Amino acid sequence: MPIIVNLDVMMARRKMSLNELSEKVDITLANLSILKTGKAKAIRFSTLEAICNALDCQPGDLLEFSKE
Amino acid sequence: MKKRTETILKVLNVFAWIAFIALMVKSGAVLFAYSYTIAQPNSAKDFYEHQNLYPLMQYNFWQYTTSIILRAAIPAIQSYTAFLIIKVLSRIKLSNPFTMEVANILEKISYFILAAWIVAVIYNSHASWLINEIPGLQLPKESGDSIFLAGVVFVIAQIFKKGVEIQNENELTV
Repeated sequence: MPIIVNLDVMMARRKMSLNELSEKVDITLANLSILKTGKAKAIRFSTLEAICNALDCQPGDLLEFSKE
Repeated sequence: MKKRTETILKVLNVFAWIAFIALMVKSGAVLFAYSYTIAQPNSAKDFYEHQNLYPLMQYNFWQYTTSIILRAAIPAIQSYTAFLIIKVLSRIKLSNPFTMEVANILEKISYFILAAWIVAVIYNSHASWLINEIPGLQLPKESGDSIFLAGVVFVIAQIFKKGVEIQNENELTV
């Protein structure tokens, strides 16, 4: 998919584990894993807002467009 | 509501099994009667369901064979369709009903209903021609209105496929 999710990069920058993020944003580990591995088909604004809040970043830091 | 649907599906499963076995028996009986008439040509006078097919057999053996094969093929295809319905009913889970496997089987069912209709149309045309050719010959006609059913099942299969896509998208929305 041309949209790349850089969640793992941001988590590494903030030194935050998936478990920790899961607790902070109140999203199951399974769903966060779907997002992290790029399997997700869509992301809700509420989820994006919660992740941006937890990682103290902008949506553009998490999502990237690539022409492949 | 879920309990009621589960009960309906179980009852339908039983009906599908009955239809599958009955149609298999019908097809088998026609083929068995045909093979018996090869050994005992006189038995064609009292063929399956008391039809006198002896004049047809005397007229042309290959026309007789074609007619019987077409006649046996219709319940055979229908029984396979019933088998596919059994497969759908056994695979479907009410907690997660939209799966690509079920959608593909539904589409396959519509193709087989269409195939049964095509064979029925060929059989009916052949039977009409034989009735004109052989005076006094009586051949039963097959119902030829299943094309509508095939269309309906095909449309349902396409809607089901869309449902599968929506469900997948919903499951992969975080």
